[in-house]
Amino acid sequence: MRRDRETFKVHNPWPTIGWGMLAGVAAVSAVLGFGVLSRYQENGPTLDLWNAICRGLGIGADTAPAAAAQPTLHTPSQIAWTPATLDQIASGNAEHGSAIAMNCAGCHGNGGLSVQTQFPTLAGMDTAVIYKQLDDYRSGKRVSQVMGAMAQALSAQDSADVAAYFATQPGGLPALSGYRIPKSGRSLRESDPGKRLVYAGAPQRGIPPCSACHGPGGFKLGAPALQGQHATYIERQLGEFAQGRRANDIFEQMRAIAKQLTEEEMRALGAFYGIRDSQSAAALTPP
Amino acid sequence: MQNTSRLALYHYWVAFATFLPAVVLGAWQMLMRSPLPAPLDDPSAYYVSVTLHGSVMAYVVTTFFAMGFGYAVTATSLERPIRGGAAAWIGFAICLLGTAIVAVIVLAGRASVLYTFYPPLLASAWYYLGALLLFGGSMIWVVLMIYNMAAWKRDNPGKPVPLPMFAITATALLWAWSASGTIIELLGLLLPAALGLTTQIDAGLARTLFSVTLHSIVYFWLMPAYIAFYTLVPQAAGGRLYSDMMGRLTFIMFLVFSLPVGMHHLFADPEHGAGLKFIQSFLTFFVALPTLLTVFSICASLEIAGRARGGRGLLGWIAGLPWKEPMVLAVGLSLVMLGLGGFGGLINMSYAMNSMIHNTSWVTAHFHLIFGGAVVIMYFAIAYEMWPRITGKPLRSKTLACVQLWLWFVGMIVTTIPWHITGLMGQPRRVAVFDYRDPFVASMGPLVVVSVVGGVIMLISAIMLIVILVRSQLGERRLEAPLRYALALNPPKTVPASLNGFALWNAVLAVLMLFAYGYPIGQFFVLKSKVPAYEVTRPSTVVGAR
Repeated sequence: MRRDRETFKVHNPWPTIGWGMLAGVAAVSAVLGFGVLSRYQENGPTLDLWNAICRGLGIGADTAPAAAAQPTLHTPSQIAWTPATLDQIASGNAEHGSAIAMNCAGCHGNGGLSVQTQFPTLAGMDTAVIYKQLDDYRSGKRVSQVMGAMAQALSAQDSADVAAYFATQPGGLPALSGYRIPKSGRSLRESDPGKRLVYAGAPQRGIPPCSACHGPGGFKLGAPALQGQHATYIERQLGEFAQGRRANDIFEQMRAIAKQLTEEEMRALGAFYGIRDSQSAAALTPP
Repeated sequence: MQNTSRLALYHYWVAFATFLPAVVLGAWQMLMRSPLPAPLDDPSAYYVSVTLHGSVMAYVVTTFFAMGFGYAVTATSLERPIRGGAAAWIGFAICLLGTAIVAVIVLAGRASVLYTFYPPLLASAWYYLGALLLFGGSMIWVVLMIYNMAAWKRDNPGKPVPLPMFAITATALLWAWSASGTIIELLGLLLPAALGLTTQIDAGLARTLFSVTLHSIVYFWLMPAYIAFYTLVPQAAGGRLYSDMMGRLTFIMFLVFSLPVGMHHLFADPEHGAGLKFIQSFLTFFVALPTLLTVFSICASLEIAGRARGGRGLLGWIAGLPWKEPMVLAVGLSLVMLGLGGFGGLINMSYAMNSMIHNTSWVTAHFHLIFGGAVVIMYFAIAYEMWPRITGKPLRSKTLACVQLWLWFVGMIVTTIPWHITGLMGQPRRVAVFDYRDPFVASMGPLVVVSVVGGVIMLISAIMLIVILVRSQLGERRLEAPLRYALALNPPKTVPASLNGFALWNAVLAVLMLFAYGYPIGQFFVLKSKVPAYEVTRPSTVVGAR
């Protein structure tokens, strides 16, 4: 019995068996994984051992930049959701933003509560959304003479500040929470086309549910909440995405989706999410 | 013994009381995915339901069952009261609190991240806190199992630890190793992000850490079933265990081989190199060794029993077995499902073949057959065996118990065979709604409807289980037979220390884990691969305002 207590001594049969099997398994699997499997490539020459090991570890030669000349890069936006961008947005100063926002009140209303249907309500809009749109206007990725000039007058920090201001204004777009209580009629069996598109999408056309990004319920970074927005504004943006006049959606998802929507569907979506002119005057006039 | 009995009974009741609602959710999910109309047809409700069904079945039912089983086995196999009873109750309370938090926060729709909670999707911090309490509370159980075995060894120097105690300690160690991955992920990545202390999260690192848990947890679920195979089944069949030594080797091999294999869940992930994935694929095949050893041992033990009962000829011993005994029936049905599911699993873990069925309903079918089928049916049988011993109140009807087991088996087969086929056709898993107007999707419709029928059969079976247990509990007390474990054909007088303890095997496992996971985890401390996390229910205005 005592002999077997010496777990790490090699003259002991069980430890010898255990460590021997471990070494054998490790050696065989490493040789097969790095010496055999990683050497052969589908469309390229067989690698030498050193490159095969690197490839097996995930740092292979095929990660180096390609030698051929690259075509000019066209991007829908200059924003990428990097930690640096997010830190910049998070550093927004709402107090400074309120001073900048005085320039916006003419169209977007006091406190971002727009009363004119062609201008979107900004109150309660997510900081990242406002920051990205301002950057896109500044770089010309989203085209508008007025907003282009406005945005060019702002620095990146100004954009973050004004975004922080509008995001915290009450009475506009709702925060995307509190809509998670299950309700019937949100699947593909729903007959109302607007509701069906919002909650279930249209899989045959490759259209995901709107609510996955724009709420109610779902949320994706960079996508605005739509409830409480002007219905006319929503319909017009869908039309512009469909015709490619607005093209600052990073992965072209809005262009791909809007292109496939019928006019009735766009109106149904506007009706689902948005508020109409008659409602807006009553609901959005600041006290 | 009184305290231990109550301890085991409370754990069992939590396990089965949460089991029934989780089966109801499962049945509704199948209806939701099918072409048939489902009540409450809301896709977001589906993800709430999947999260709760998975969390309860994978973490709550199994952990509570294994803990209760562990306490019962410790007291009965060592034939003395369990040491550290107070700590055990504290562990029970912590786990129960964690379970309650998880249930409430998932039902509130704040944690629809599925039970694998892969970032950058982020749930409410309460969900992770609940999971942490559940995992952490069960570590008290782990310590108690090791402590009880060590104390017994100290009091009985030179004697072999009884096989059930040895096996349950292996289970506890396996769980400690397994849970370490998720506990580190929760403490190091998910909770800081959910609490807003960090805005970015390393999704690759989180998935890799979770993979440490992801496959070995399955063996933690399996272990009570295997312990029953070795120590209860031969006794119930009226025979003897074929080999005690083989049992010890099996449990040691499960401990060593079930851990460095989890990356076979990440074959389609970009963050690891092909060579590293292959190593864990290769290591996964070694888990077949203890499984095949077990199948051999159990068949041999059953043959001993069958021949002792008068079975003759090459296969006559099978007919000689007492098939009206729930434990014997369960092991027969369990081995059939283990076989079917196991062959499906060979496809999953093969580096190349996996890509045919990765993330399809084939995978769902595989783990439902193995866990929901082979393992859970043994949980039922263990409950039927232990309930009368703990409460002193026998089952009212063994026939009803056998019918329940048959229904569960039939339901599971009817559910999972169509899933295997639709998986091969390419039906993705974890999808709430399918557009059955599409001709290709429509061709899967009839198969999905068949699987719903299986789900209903299982729901009936689960209700019967609770009815049988409640009927037994409410019955009159007239049985005082202590639980007896199967004796080996040649009971061991002495065993080598290496097969009577785990020091060597823990050391071997530590080196093997370093070999399999050292580079895959270490690389993240060099790579800059963090991405923004996003909560499922909250916009980032909160981040901005902060």
